[in-house]
Amino acid sequence: MTQDVEMKEQQPAPSNSLSSTSPSTLQHLKDIAALIETGAYTREVRRIVRAIRWTIQLRKKLKASVLSAFLNFVLVPGSDVHSRLSSYVPKEDEHDMEVDTATSATQAPAKHSLPELEIYSYLLVLIFLIDQKRYSEAKACSSASIARLRNLNRRTVDVLASRLYFYYSLSYELTGDLAEIRGNLLALHRTATLRHDELGQETLLNLLLRNYLHYNLYDQAEKLRSKAPRFEAHSNQQFCRYLFYLGKIRTIQLEYTDAKESLLQAARKAPVSALGFRVQCNKWAVIVRLLLGEIPERTVFMQKGMEKALRPYFELTNAVRIGDLELFKAVAEKFATTFSSDRTNNLIVRLRHNVIRTGLRNISISYSRISLADVAKKLRLDSANPVADAESIVSKAIRDGAIDATLDHANGWMVSKETGDIYSTNEPQIAFNSRIAFCLNMHNEAVRALRFPPNSHKEKESAEKRRERQQQEQELAKHIAEEDDDEF
Amino acid sequence: MDPKITEVSQVFERFKAAFVRKDFDTCTSLLSQLKVLLTGFKSLPPLFEETPNAVHELTLARDIYEHAVVLSVKTEDQDAFERDFFQLKPYYTDARGRLPQSPQEYPILGLNLLRLLVQNRIAEFHTELELLSPSALENPCIKHAVELEQSFMEGAYNRVLSARQTVPHETYVYFMDLLAKTVRDEIAGCSEKAYDSLSLSDARQMLLFSSDKELLEYINEEHPEWEIKNGSVFFQRAKESVPCKEIPSLQLINQTLSYARELERIV
Repeated sequence: MTQDVEMKEQQPAPSNSLSSTSPSTLQHLKDIAALIETGAYTREVRRIVRAIRWTIQLRKKLKASVLSAFLNFVLVPGSDVHSRLSSYVPKEDEHDMEVDTATSATQAPAKHSLPELEIYSYLLVLIFLIDQKRYSEAKACSSASIARLRNLNRRTVDVLASRLYFYYSLSYELTGDLAEIRGNLLALHRTATLRHDELGQETLLNLLLRNYLHYNLYDQAEKLRSKAPRFEAHSNQQFCRYLFYLGKIRTIQLEYTDAKESLLQAARKAPVSALGFRVQCNKWAVIVRLLLGEIPERTVFMQKGMEKALRPYFELTNAVRIGDLELFKAVAEKFATTFSSDRTNNLIVRLRHNVIRTGLRNISISYSRISLADVAKKLRLDSANPVADAESIVSKAIRDGAIDATLDHANGWMVSKETGDIYSTNEPQIAFNSRIAFCLNMHNEAVRALRFPPNSHKEKESAEKRRERQQQEQELAKHIAEEDDDEF
Repeated sequence: MDPKITEVSQVFERFKAAFVRKDFDTCTSLLSQLKVLLTGFKSLPPLFEETPNAVHELTLARDIYEHAVVLSVKTEDQDAFERDFFQLKPYYTDARGRLPQSPQEYPILGLNLLRLLVQNRIAEFHTELELLSPSALENPCIKHAVELEQSFMEGAYNRVLSARQTVPHETYVYFMDLLAKTVRDEIAGCSEKAYDSLSLSDARQMLLFSSDKELLEYINEEHPEWEIKNGSVFFQRAKESVPCKEIPSLQLINQTLSYARELERIV
């Protein structure tokens, strides 16, 4: 649903950096604040989503002076939140800031400080701190914001909260203390579930999975994943992440077919600008496909911007395709550092067995009858008793259906079977059916995903009626906001 | 010293003495006693409270659970092994920062890997493997298990069997023996598919029996469908995918109708 792109901290640079003077940025921020305000009053979550998207675009232009001016604008000066947040923003460029406050004061700011705006300020400061690489302050700021969020139960805050959770986890990850917040995240996930905050659940589940996988705790990650409630995805990015983590877990647990599906889907669904994320997905997908005995097409490795990153995997694929154990070993050693930093080392160890399989398949296709001693020689099995090894390896390959052949123990050779005519069986019909079903399903899902503006089918209400209704709603919202203020 | 620690240490000393005497019944009863006593320590997982004796208590508890794991191998109780291992695991993972590494850590982790392999829980095997650091993978005890898994997957069963001679730790022998049984079943399964027939003597050799009688008993018990004729074993061939002679009409009608319905919806 949401379109904002924030997969791997890779943002396209803002188009016109020349015009990015601080007043205009401040003006933008004020517009965003206004947008959030209307969103909060009319209870339209979509406005807030748009506000966040807008903020991400402004991200590169954030400066300390702008930020403190904005804080003065939206928060009540001297209030608890204001002083706390201001303490995180470095006091530089005093003069500039004063000018901004002066202008903001003349604009008759709304000084009642909505919770949405308060949370938004936290988010803004947090993004700023992370961009400035002031991670320890970011940690403190995010923890404070999470503590504040605990006491808020408003649907319009949920969107902002889910972003905050993300940066909360990110700030801890950057300092390498991810294990510390696991308990907190679990508690937050529980709260989000109780409040039916599905976006929050989605985000937190992903953060938790990331947290577990960061420490290679695949067992715990899978247990959590399989028990956490699932529902239709709200955010495309979160869904991509979820698929990626799911793919990783399944790869480790040897469910390659499912893993491949998740990883490929994650790579396809990810936004174009999230290059780093897509590269990761592709790396894993390549390995999983190799483990399945498939050979990925050359185009996979030639995708724009990925050639270099996928190079080691390309050479690996080549070695598996040829079925050459020596080459495979050489590649694995050559790129050992890359593989260990990608944490795919153990998977590559598993591939050895696929290399042998491919080699064996090639032999089985080329020869109708071959002695086991020759098989051992061709596969370059270096062991004490190559013929016996070759025999048991071949017999296992036959049982697993990798090759269609029989063994003759007395003569010590392998006889390949003639491949039968597949079109005389039901196979093609089944394959055809599954493809049609896939296409039809795709169409149905596309129809279901269409979104229509609310109430468009109803009669247009008259302008006067609408004004009346909006006024009523606003009054109600103000009432609620004041009540909230009283509480805290 | 804390009286609780003293008590636990004393019981543990008696346990160790019984352990050396190979008096495993006494060991088991002392162990349950010890486990109950350990619940009194607040510094142990999952609480991890920072008590003044935390390091001492953690080390003691870890030592006890390590012995418990080894004991379960000696008494050949796989369920107890699993239980004790999971109780021990937090001491290796979560308490890593608090304690110096135990010399028993890698042998026990390797033992657990071997157990998963024997029970054919390969997914869990790999999950455990991911938790190990690169330096741990170099350790002979771990490496042994990892190489076994590889040979096992490849189908190089001879290598699996010869690995019994090179066990890095005496406790491994129990699982290696179990593994030999698993390997035999695997070989039987593979042979069934790969050969049309085998002479009895070849089959005996391949399935690692010392006499024909044992072989025949095994066949009777596990694979009654194998046929023995003229001194050879004939395996029942699995059914090939036969060319379809009949058109599965009902299925086809259903499919075509569903296509029609879906197309109707689109147009």
